[in-house]
Amino acid sequence: MDYGRSELADRLAADYVTGTLRGPARRRFERLLPAHPVLRVAVEQWQARLMPLTLGLEPEKPPAAVWRRIESRIGGAAAAKPAAAERTPWWGQLALWRGLSGVATVAVVGLSLLLASPGPAQPPIVVVLSATGGAEGAVVPASFVASISGDGRAMVTRPLVNVSVEANRALELWALPSSGAPPRSLGLISEKGTTVLKKGEALKGAGGLAVSLEPPGGSPTGAPTGPVLYVGKLNT
Amino acid sequence: MPPPTQDWSERSKDLSQLLGRAGLGDRAAFATLYEKTSSHLFAVVLRISRDRAQAEDILQEVYVNVWRAAGGFDAAQAQPLTWLTSIARNRAIDSLRRAQTQPQLQTAIANDDEETDVYDAVADETPGPLDLLSRAADARALSHCMQGLTAQQRQSVALAFYDGLSHAEVAEKMRQPLGTVKSWVRRALMSLKSCLERAAAGGA
Repeated sequence: MDYGRSELADRLAADYVTGTLRGPARRRFERLLPAHPVLRVAVEQWQARLMPLTLGLEPEKPPAAVWRRIESRIGGAAAAKPAAAERTPWWGQLALWRGLSGVATVAVVGLSLLLASPGPAQPPIVVVLSATGGAEGAVVPASFVASISGDGRAMVTRPLVNVSVEANRALELWALPSSGAPPRSLGLISEKGTTVLKKGEALKGAGGLAVSLEPPGGSPTGAPTGPVLYVGKLNT
Repeated sequence: MPPPTQDWSERSKDLSQLLGRAGLGDRAAFATLYEKTSSHLFAVVLRISRDRAQAEDILQEVYVNVWRAAGGFDAAQAQPLTWLTSIARNRAIDSLRRAQTQPQLQTAIANDDEETDVYDAVADETPGPLDLLSRAADARALSHCMQGLTAQQRQSVALAFYDGLSHAEVAEKMRQPLGTVKSWVRRALMSLKSCLERAAAGGA
């Protein structure tokens, strides 16, 4: 099925948000969401339309025990040690790297696609970026491949699958420093074809790459503002 | 909880900051967020799950999830209350899916068969889905658009949305063929969508 078709996307999203999309269809839909911006936008629109309906419900105070259980789960209050209290930022989270096994096979494909021209002295590095947020244990398809020249000064990205982005949104590529420092922007990339980026030292110390969904001109804050759609590990 | 007269987006604005700070690991902000939103989310979950103990478990999962995902919240794309309510509803519906293989939910549905008034989803003094729809009337455009639906369309959407009923369950409750109910829900949603879009375009 072509989930990029907006009419179908809208219908599925309406059913999903209303709650009438059930069983395997609901799970399949949830697995598709991370890699299909059209679906995701349709879901967000339906959520915005329908969730205010819940204002009609009489608020019901949950028992205090619920909060205590939440607090202990998130390592809060009494249990917290200063060091443990620091929460890992999203770019440092292990879960983000989940499902990136099987990357090697795709990397080889990516290499043959990208490196038709004679290589530089040092071998290039290929990073495969996969969709984030898939269900646990699900196979996450590779979505983007980034090839970095041996000297780290230039990079080429291209999508491996059909990636669709709403007209008023753009994809921005980020270097994720291994040190856990905030991501550095590498610029906007095309969801359709090849993007060549010349980034000098920007990749120094990077442990991974991520692609986030941003407003048309890219993130206005210099840090990712939208959801992170794809992430890939840099093996150096 | 803020008074119900307060607008959805107005409430969301207050929560935006709390969620942002929670995303940076601020526990105090997260506690305040819980304070301000848990009664609403508990009501949403309780309505779908019907089982108090299970609803409490779901609520716990929801907030642990929110704590972990707060950093990824996209303020440009969604209002916090919309985002939070969606997470809660999804969890509740997922738990329903699991519970459906167990007998207790079957009894809950069977009990409802005795009702003579199909417009009343619950036998006790809990407001029926249609009451809820009219109370949500504070969301002005939405309520205006709800009035444009036929009675059957309104009821089928209300049963599915508030009580988390599947098409088949809505059909059973309304004693109507599945196909009929499906098309009621579909048409109701499509007409809501176009009505809300018209309202937004007209600044109504």
